[in-house]
Amino acid sequence: MISLPSMKSASLLLAGLFAAAGVSSAQDDPQRAAEKFFENEVRPILVNRCSDCHGEKKRKGSLRVDDINYLLTGGDSGPALVPGNPEKSIMIGAIHYDDPDFQMPPKEKLPDKEIAILEKWVKLGAPWPQNDANRIRIDQYGFTEKDHKFWSFQPVGHPAPPEVKSAWARNDIDRFVAKKHAELGLTPAPEADRCELVRRLYFTLHGLPPTQAQADAFVKSTDPQAYEKLVDELLASPHYGERWAQHWLDLTRYAESDGYNQDAYRPAAWTYRDYVIKSLNEDKPYDQFVREQLAGDELDPKNPQVLVATSYLRNPIYEYNQRDARGQYEVILTDMTDNAGEVFLGLSVGCARCHDHKFDPILQKDYYRLRAFFAPVRWRDDLKLATDEERAKFAVEQEKWETTTAEIRTQIDAIVGPMIAQNIKKAYEKFTVDIRAMVDKPPAERTPDEWRYSYFCERQMQYERERFEPLKSIKKPEDKTRYQALIEELKKFDDIKPKPLVDAFVVSDATSKGPPNVLKTRKGEMDVAPGFLTILEAQEPKIVPLSNSTGRRSVLAAWITRPDNPLSTRVITNRVWQYLLGRGLVSTPNDFGRLGEEPSNPELLDYLTRRFIEGGWSLKKLQREILLSATFRQTAHCAPSEAAAKVDPANKYFWRFNPCRLDAEEARDAMLMASGEMDFAEGGPSTDANGTRRSIYTMKKRNSQNELLRSLDAPTGFASAAERQSTTTPTQALLLVNGDWALARAQKLASRVSSVEEAWQTTLGRLPTEKERQMASSFLAKRGGTGEPQVEAPVDSANAAFFKENTSHERLVVRAPEKEGDEFTVEAIVSLDSIDTNAAVRTIASRWNNGKDNVEAFGWSIGVTGEKSRFKPRNLIIQLVGEDENRNIAYEPIASDLRLELGVTYHIAVSVSCSEQTVSFLVQPLDKPGELPRTAVVSHRVRAGLSQGASSLVIGGVSKRAPAHQWDGRISAVRILRGQVADEVLSTDPTNWTAPALIAWNASAAADSQFAWAGPENANGAGSSDSRKQAMTDLCHVLLNTNEFFYLQ
Amino acid sequence: MPCHHYDLPTSRREFLRRAGCGFGAVALAALMREPVLAAEAATSNPALSALTRRVGAAKSVIFCFMEGGPSHLDTFDRKPLLNQLAGQKLPASFKEPVLSMGESGAPLLESKRTWKQYGESGLWISDWFENVAAHADDLAVINSCVSDGINHAGGVCQMNTGSIFGGRPSLGAWVNYGLGSVNQNLPGFVVIKDSEAGVINGVRNWGSGFMPAVYQGVEFNSEGVPIKYLDAPKGVSAERQRDKLDLLADLNRDYDATRTDNTELEARIRAYELAYAMQAEAPHAVDLSKETDATKALYGMDQPETAVYGRNCLLARRLVENGVRFVQLYSGAGSKWDSHAKLEENHSKLCRAVDKPIAGLLTDLKARGLLDETLVIWGGEFGRTPMSEQGGGRDHNPNGFTMWMAGGGVKGGQTIGATDDLGLYAVKDRLHVHDLHSTILYLLGVDHTKLVYRHQGRPERVDQNDGHAYTKITG
Repeated sequence: MISLPSMKSASLLLAGLFAAAGVSSAQDDPQRAAEKFFENEVRPILVNRCSDCHGEKKRKGSLRVDDINYLLTGGDSGPALVPGNPEKSIMIGAIHYDDPDFQMPPKEKLPDKEIAILEKWVKLGAPWPQNDANRIRIDQYGFTEKDHKFWSFQPVGHPAPPEVKSAWARNDIDRFVAKKHAELGLTPAPEADRCELVRRLYFTLHGLPPTQAQADAFVKSTDPQAYEKLVDELLASPHYGERWAQHWLDLTRYAESDGYNQDAYRPAAWTYRDYVIKSLNEDKPYDQFVREQLAGDELDPKNPQVLVATSYLRNPIYEYNQRDARGQYEVILTDMTDNAGEVFLGLSVGCARCHDHKFDPILQKDYYRLRAFFAPVRWRDDLKLATDEERAKFAVEQEKWETTTAEIRTQIDAIVGPMIAQNIKKAYEKFTVDIRAMVDKPPAERTPDEWRYSYFCERQMQYERERFEPLKSIKKPEDKTRYQALIEELKKFDDIKPKPLVDAFVVSDATSKGPPNVLKTRKGEMDVAPGFLTILEAQEPKIVPLSNSTGRRSVLAAWITRPDNPLSTRVITNRVWQYLLGRGLVSTPNDFGRLGEEPSNPELLDYLTRRFIEGGWSLKKLQREILLSATFRQTAHCAPSEAAAKVDPANKYFWRFNPCRLDAEEARDAMLMASGEMDFAEGGPSTDANGTRRSIYTMKKRNSQNELLRSLDAPTGFASAAERQSTTTPTQALLLVNGDWALARAQKLASRVSSVEEAWQTTLGRLPTEKERQMASSFLAKRGGTGEPQVEAPVDSANAAFFKENTSHERLVVRAPEKEGDEFTVEAIVSLDSIDTNAAVRTIASRWNNGKDNVEAFGWSIGVTGEKSRFKPRNLIIQLVGEDENRNIAYEPIASDLRLELGVTYHIAVSVSCSEQTVSFLVQPLDKPGELPRTAVVSHRVRAGLSQGASSLVIGGVSKRAPAHQWDGRISAVRILRGQVADEVLSTDPTNWTAPALIAWNASAAADSQFAWAGPENANGAGSSDSRKQAMTDLCHVLLNTNEFFYLQ
Repeated sequence: MPCHHYDLPTSRREFLRRAGCGFGAVALAALMREPVLAAEAATSNPALSALTRRVGAAKSVIFCFMEGGPSHLDTFDRKPLLNQLAGQKLPASFKEPVLSMGESGAPLLESKRTWKQYGESGLWISDWFENVAAHADDLAVINSCVSDGINHAGGVCQMNTGSIFGGRPSLGAWVNYGLGSVNQNLPGFVVIKDSEAGVINGVRNWGSGFMPAVYQGVEFNSEGVPIKYLDAPKGVSAERQRDKLDLLADLNRDYDATRTDNTELEARIRAYELAYAMQAEAPHAVDLSKETDATKALYGMDQPETAVYGRNCLLARRLVENGVRFVQLYSGAGSKWDSHAKLEENHSKLCRAVDKPIAGLLTDLKARGLLDETLVIWGGEFGRTPMSEQGGGRDHNPNGFTMWMAGGGVKGGQTIGATDDLGLYAVKDRLHVHDLHSTILYLLGVDHTKLVYRHQGRPERVDQNDGHAYTKITG
């Protein structure tokens, strides 16, 4: 304890002073005199002049003036005053404006009189009333008793379950809950019925609705242990890990892209997602789970199952186009530190990066102590997830392939090697000289700092190798031909080439020595060693370096997973409660500090935490205990009693189950379950969320999130997300009621249900009520009875080349046996009667639904522009939708600037290449003999995916009826050929089209069942003329939008 | 056929009263886009009780965002010394900045513009903005803007959200959070781009970060259907859509009848009705067919070079008239203003595309008496260096650049702050992006230090506790 200047000794001094100054000696109590002097003269100055900036709210420079202890401990610049010694008191120097850089108050110097008073006060020994109501004791680190006594820093207690008389309680959890209820006058809600329970259990543990069979099995069971058995069954299913991994991935801000401008895809990130799923399914003890993620590389580097866990430290964002290597490392290091603080300790340590935490007893130095554990981390892209055995096998096979192909590869290298080297050199030269010097250093000589920073330059250099495009870069035609021939030659050895090992997306330390970890303050610079939160553990830990690692992170992991760590143990226990009951015992799961909420039932939290640790850190055991409680089994469908509405409207004390909306992934998965399309393929690389795979396995790109998941509040992956929001917006409603994805599910659902009853059962898991049955029936009768208005129009069926709106010859839908892929040529003979008066494109041929931003829309469309097109009217263009080089969805219209006259017959050919990233156009009028073809070659950036959309091939339009996009005039022949074809293969006369084609259609040939005409009657959303079926689609679509579908209540 | 059998609350106040406390109240308030400044919301968030708005402040913002970084040295920040020293290296007295493209030692590049003084205030403006220049006496030109973003991703992200990293709410989201909505049938924050190209960082530039999604910006197409999914699916008639929504409302009403304490459910019913109303209202708000040819010409819609941005500026006026709080108009979406080479060619074209439209917007707003309550902002994520790059280009310069504001209570005809004699660093009255954001909120009548959103225990502010409103901007 610091010795305080006692008021007594000061008062003696003061008495003498006053006596000398001739102050009335009637004031014979020197202590009171000192007090009076302080209260009348000194405190007003401190309050009026200083405490605005140095008080409880603002603590500029980490200094407060509202207690002598704060002044003695001081702030960033050290103790503010030395009692009895004004010359050594920096506070006195500051108010004298001695140092031009350190003047207080900064705006205006104090009046001389006030300066004299403060100086006198310090000289007197800075007396401060002992019975001050604001008396605060602080220790050597600046912590108050209040800090030390803060609830979350206290050891986890051993509360015994209270004795309660209630018959309601099923287990000890309920006894804690019942005690609170009794104290507050709350009554627990009745137990939920089996329908509610089965839905809740399936969603909570699997993130999926039960199938009808699953629901029936439980609801109709007569087994008294049916509930317990269902809980055990669900916990044992692999779907459990798929659901609970989502929670952990939210916390660790998992995503599969870099998150910055380029937002490049992280092709190996999924290995971490699978690791989390697997760990949870195995019920890996939580302490082990934490240790592996923080320090798997130190604990068991050769075990790919453990090494993969360090992918956790690869979750920060990264920008490839960034030359500031130091700045970028700083961002990454900060992110790693902040996230670990939030996820494992439940503290927003980030606040202490720039100053001591304003609300929690976390020192700025503590931040740097924590940061020091991560400072040696080096991102690794050169490792593989493989066992020694797999590695050895691969090496042997690889060597064999390399030896066999050495000659060919040498020749390839001779052509492209110098170009790649040139690109790499350019990337290298963009960095500053000092960073380049680090890259130039032999690895053995690099310091940890040099490892950290050179990474960014080396990664950009490596990227040049990856993104090198030989066919674009090789200029000489003969080189190009030779190169292609060599590649063909090399492919012949593919059968002996081993399958590549799985890339690891992991970390290690740079060396066994840590880099400097410098905290800069006004007092100077300080290299901060690794350590924990001072308030919990002031001692610096002993860390023994490993052969190739500092060993720091295993020490941090060991501290976090100590059974007596009061924070980490409570934090995870609280999370489990939160994810099961919809609200934590501490309702701010990532903030166990002062700005967070205190636990609503601290004894219960401590009891569960104890149980969790005693149970071997088993998450499943803890979950089971909570799931079996009466607390969990309460119904959510229960109006608050008067007492509840008054005392606890937010349901902090769990007097019923919390109603909740399905989260984004649950809602999407539930729609797929209803439509019967759910793709349960487990693990491996992700696929696009516009498909039908389970949400956990869909691609999660930070800058281009799936719009359905985003609109239902899936987190973006930039920061730890401890809770999901549940927002409701009109644009969300538009997406659900008008968007393609939800509609497609409704159509599929309608096609598999045959009655209103079945529709209800499949979507809501129950039969309709009589009233609902009637509502649905009258809806179906009304819609199914009238249908859409039919258009009758004349049909010039004599001429099959004729394409006209509102006739049965609007479009020709093609059933192609094979898809054309990303390299193909379309040839056609056409003439056009009109163009669209707006900007729409008259379509010659397409595989496209007119969409631009989902995988279903992937495709292409060739046509002629309308009046208001930004490419000007009558321009022959192709529109492409596919993937760009970052696997983002790219829509690109590519104009030839070759224009078509109306009424003229043309031979056109359009050749698309995604490998060359070009489109070649040819247009030749056939009515004007002798006129030469016009050609154009235009480049584009779509890389792949043109045939992967949901649309069929269509001649004269796009896949859904859209009159403005339909051809108006004649198309007398169309064929599609694979690849780019030689000029001599093209012909203005379709009777010469003899080369093998993917499809070939000629209006003058006999009708072929491969080609089906479509008119307006086939135009509606379901693509069906059956208005009854249409009405059923509408009904299903409505059911998928209901509150009941989206809510568990 | 009548469809609203159930009682819709007749006022937002009543709606909120009914929502009361309990589950979902926050979501409901957010859906209704009640301003946090209002008394109702203050009761649920005591931290905001002190919030009050200044009277007579701007009601909406139109932010003309020149994406890619326009050159201040060739538009609004005249530097005679630059032309004197052109061709020489940066004098040693200037600290060498960190450059994005790293072309060190490149010579200074002269500005080829002709400069004139305009208006009574005599502001210097280059010939690239001769139309905007006619409004010199309405402009507050801030020559001392500073950002932390050295590259586009960081710069655009910071100018939009205050941080060079993703994850925070955008300025438009803060404004809507603070001020609430005037028109429930339109989004409060609308973004319009000048081409189909993607803005750098994508939709998160107008995202709501850690705030509820209701505050996020909604992208409007400048032609055709304004909002994605606004139209019923192809082949679904208005009558059929209405029948579907009626059935949905009926089913929801029955479900909700015994769950009245969960106001999220009621919010969802409302959301579908608002969506339906939006289907009617949004196309009307962007329907320019009633605008006269003279108005269209004023915005340059009659000339091909200015037609696109002119149309967007006119849409912005209509949206603001219809109660949209924050409209952001991207020019050069996809970093088109980025001119590392051939700045003359690049900027000639882009300045021509926006000069007349923006001038037209100012004229039109003024003529309609809307300029006082509409804050118009011009600028990009950063400016450009006095040093050349690849001969005729300029590199990124976040250390000193220009933005201007007009309307919304801004005192026109003034220059704020200054860069050094070459326009490289801001030296006088530096206004960091955080200060700019704070100033914008100030002009909207909001004390940015009081507009707090609590996230993971932290009281978050638009300026990350770092900004100062430049209150002298109102004169």
